[in-house]
Amino acid sequence: MFSTITSGTICGIRSCMVQVEVDISQGLPCFQIVGLPGSEVREARERVKVALKNAGISLPPSCVNVNLSPADIHKSGTMFDLPVAVGIMAALSRLAPGAAENTLLIGELGLSGEIKPVKGVLPIVREAAAHGVKRCILPAENAWEGMLVESTESIGVSSLQETIEVLNGAGRQGKACAGQGSEDAVPPRFGAGEAVEESGSREDFADMRGQESLKRAAKVAAAGFHNLLVVGTPGSGKTMLARRIPAILPPLSPEETLEVASVYSIRGMLKPKWRTTDHRLMIDRPFMSPHHTVTGQALVGGGRIPAPGIVSLAHRGVLFLDELPEFKRETLDILRQPLEDRRVQIARSRATYEYPADFMLVGAMNPCPCGYYPDMGRCRCTPGEIRRYLRRVSGPILDRMDICVEAKPLPFCDIARHETGEDSARMRAQVLEARRRQTERFAGTKIRFNADMKAADVDKYCPLGGKERRFMEKMFASLQLSARGYHRVVKVARTIADLEGSERVGETHLAEAVCYRNMEVFQ
Amino acid sequence: MTERETGKAYMHWLFQGSGMGSRGLVRALLQTGTPEEIYRLALSGHLAEKLTGRYREKAVALEASAPVFDVEKEYGKLRERGISFVSLGEEEYPKKLAAIPDAPCALYYVGRLPEHGRKTLALIGARNCSAYGRAVAGEFAAALAESDVQIVSGMARGVDGIGQQAALDAGGYSLGVLGCGVDICYPPENRRLYEQLIAQGGICSEYPPGIEPRSLLFPPRNRIISGLCDGVLVVEAKERSGTLITVDMALEQGREVYAVPGRVTDPLSRGCNRLIRQGAALVESPEELLRELGVEAGEGVSAERTKRAGILPGGRQGRVGKLLDYRPQTTEELRQRYADAYGDALTISELCLELLKLCADGYARQTGGLYVRQ
Repeated sequence: MFSTITSGTICGIRSCMVQVEVDISQGLPCFQIVGLPGSEVREARERVKVALKNAGISLPPSCVNVNLSPADIHKSGTMFDLPVAVGIMAALSRLAPGAAENTLLIGELGLSGEIKPVKGVLPIVREAAAHGVKRCILPAENAWEGMLVESTESIGVSSLQETIEVLNGAGRQGKACAGQGSEDAVPPRFGAGEAVEESGSREDFADMRGQESLKRAAKVAAAGFHNLLVVGTPGSGKTMLARRIPAILPPLSPEETLEVASVYSIRGMLKPKWRTTDHRLMIDRPFMSPHHTVTGQALVGGGRIPAPGIVSLAHRGVLFLDELPEFKRETLDILRQPLEDRRVQIARSRATYEYPADFMLVGAMNPCPCGYYPDMGRCRCTPGEIRRYLRRVSGPILDRMDICVEAKPLPFCDIARHETGEDSARMRAQVLEARRRQTERFAGTKIRFNADMKAADVDKYCPLGGKERRFMEKMFASLQLSARGYHRVVKVARTIADLEGSERVGETHLAEAVCYRNMEVFQ
Repeated sequence: MTERETGKAYMHWLFQGSGMGSRGLVRALLQTGTPEEIYRLALSGHLAEKLTGRYREKAVALEASAPVFDVEKEYGKLRERGISFVSLGEEEYPKKLAAIPDAPCALYYVGRLPEHGRKTLALIGARNCSAYGRAVAGEFAAALAESDVQIVSGMARGVDGIGQQAALDAGGYSLGVLGCGVDICYPPENRRLYEQLIAQGGICSEYPPGIEPRSLLFPPRNRIISGLCDGVLVVEAKERSGTLITVDMALEQGREVYAVPGRVTDPLSRGCNRLIRQGAALVESPEELLRELGVEAGEGVSAERTKRAGILPGGRQGRVGKLLDYRPQTTEELRQRYADAYGDALTISELCLELLKLCADGYARQTGGLYVRQ
């Protein structure tokens, strides 16, 4: 009277396979779950008992023991309801022998026996496929997520009764699936590189009149995935600029889509509308814009049972922090590790959880509390106030801002002008071209964008000619650049050269990059 | 200790013991005798009875301080720290200052006090000055210092500090008058200036060492700034500002007031323009001011100016340079103005290159992402 069912759980961004072992033996009637279950897993007992009863299966008065193996990993989530219920049925010989072999089951049970959606389906199914599991039985609403994984068959079920039918081979496979899934001619895939129609709701850079310098800075930042800081008076278009950046970033590559989708899946944020008609998953570059009252934990993730935070949801996309100095200093300083390591580690006594966090940081701030410094004609702030305001953003954060631009509101004549500047489509085409050059340059290395280069890589990939070297020497002397500033400038200059289609980093490229150097000049 | 030093030591006790805001008390006491006699009286407990009214209470506190204050040791400590002390009536007390109605009874100072007989000018202005104020203050101070004019100011942020720094950098003399003890550098970011002043000029204050800066201490020190000088030059002031308090005091003391005009749209020029309307002398260049002061322009003053005016190179760099202004401008504005003025569009990279060259040549300056003339 023993059965084993395969299931899975999430730890950090990874998932791991869990064997649900059920034993029913003679003895005083009891039902216990062991194997480090979280409270929601422990509650599965009550749900399973009632759901089985309502599905017409009565538990005999016997001793039911459930073990979740490996027993040293903490298990949370409601996905174990279904495997436990199926395990009990198997142990009661209610299923055909071997019916649940090589099958992964996850799902939450309602008291009536219905099956409800759960979080983290995509990473679990991927893990199952990697372990050679042939078939995954998933809640009907999540089934499409599983179908994104090619090498395994995903079946959506909406009730316990249906699960039994599927397992016993009653032929009604995948009835409730959204879409036709694996039986289709076109296997589901992740978004490929070519241009696919995206949701048309994105704001366009064509809306920004004038402000060519700002748009240029955004283009450079997008092309090299550089962090961007926009400093400017109120109403100068800082937020407008930031919101338009995802639209000019290159589309997510298949691997990137998978990474982003996994994080979204764990947070239960993956939306079926992101599937294209030909069964690809197309996700727009994430754009996260937390309010400045956000807590550190919400930002990087955490909690007693860790969950990915905003920085992970912004993975491969843009993290926009508006009114940068209004964020608590401690909150901003938490960003230092993700900015450096491109991932977040959360340590708990039982395990260390890891989430990806490779995002482009876009910050916006006023130059002083009133917003008009250094226009002393309008600025009402005292020097002390300005210093205190700027000091709220710590040096290490400013240090990681590769590009810093100043925004000023447009004069009326420009607002009234009807000509529209470059639109997002044209800008994106240039970014894609620059991106292509980078892909070629960094082929066979881990570097994806110019911004990822370390100091040694800068010397290797961006050698400067004699004239350029002399120019930089002069800049060093007159502008008091630091060594760190030097590498940052060269990295940005490399991106500018890529945008211009130049093989070599020239003097003008360096000059523009020097002009984008960080806020040190303010302080 | 010489007799003079002893006198100073007792005077120091009188100052330290009577606390702040007691100029009246000190003056009243000094009418009864020398500082030493006052000290003896205080020790014997008969000081308070010599006074009447509101001074009596303060004198009681002074009496209490006398037995615990080792006059010679305390004065020795002061000297060890390099702080000098001079009281009204002594030979080295600045003559011009001595002549004002409420001259401080004594001054603490480090470095040197201004020399008598040399022209002395107070250079004052807004703390949060604009790039224009910064440039003008620097230019005037340097030219004045080169022409052997002593510059006195409050070592404050903005015009004061910039002017004093420029005067010292030009090899001239400058005195900082503080609103706190001379051993305290306020504002702290002027540390470099503070140290250079001690080495090359002087720092003085009417407050004993160790007194922390407090807002109510600053207006009275302004009378010392104007009192030490032949005239007051105002560079940028808002309509209601501390700078204008100094000007009022200067007028009371019969000092000449000079003002550098500004744009009418600029709030920082309101104060100056109003002064001019009220009769202050308008000065447009250091040479003009030197003529007014009756000082011969030092060597290199006008040469320096012509060099500055002619510094702009030709070509595109020069054309960009002409667009620069004391008002900070973004690259976007400059690009637009370049296109409007010359009918020729520059790419952002090209513009950045020219701007950086101008910065490197010292003609322009970058503040944040904005560019100003220097």
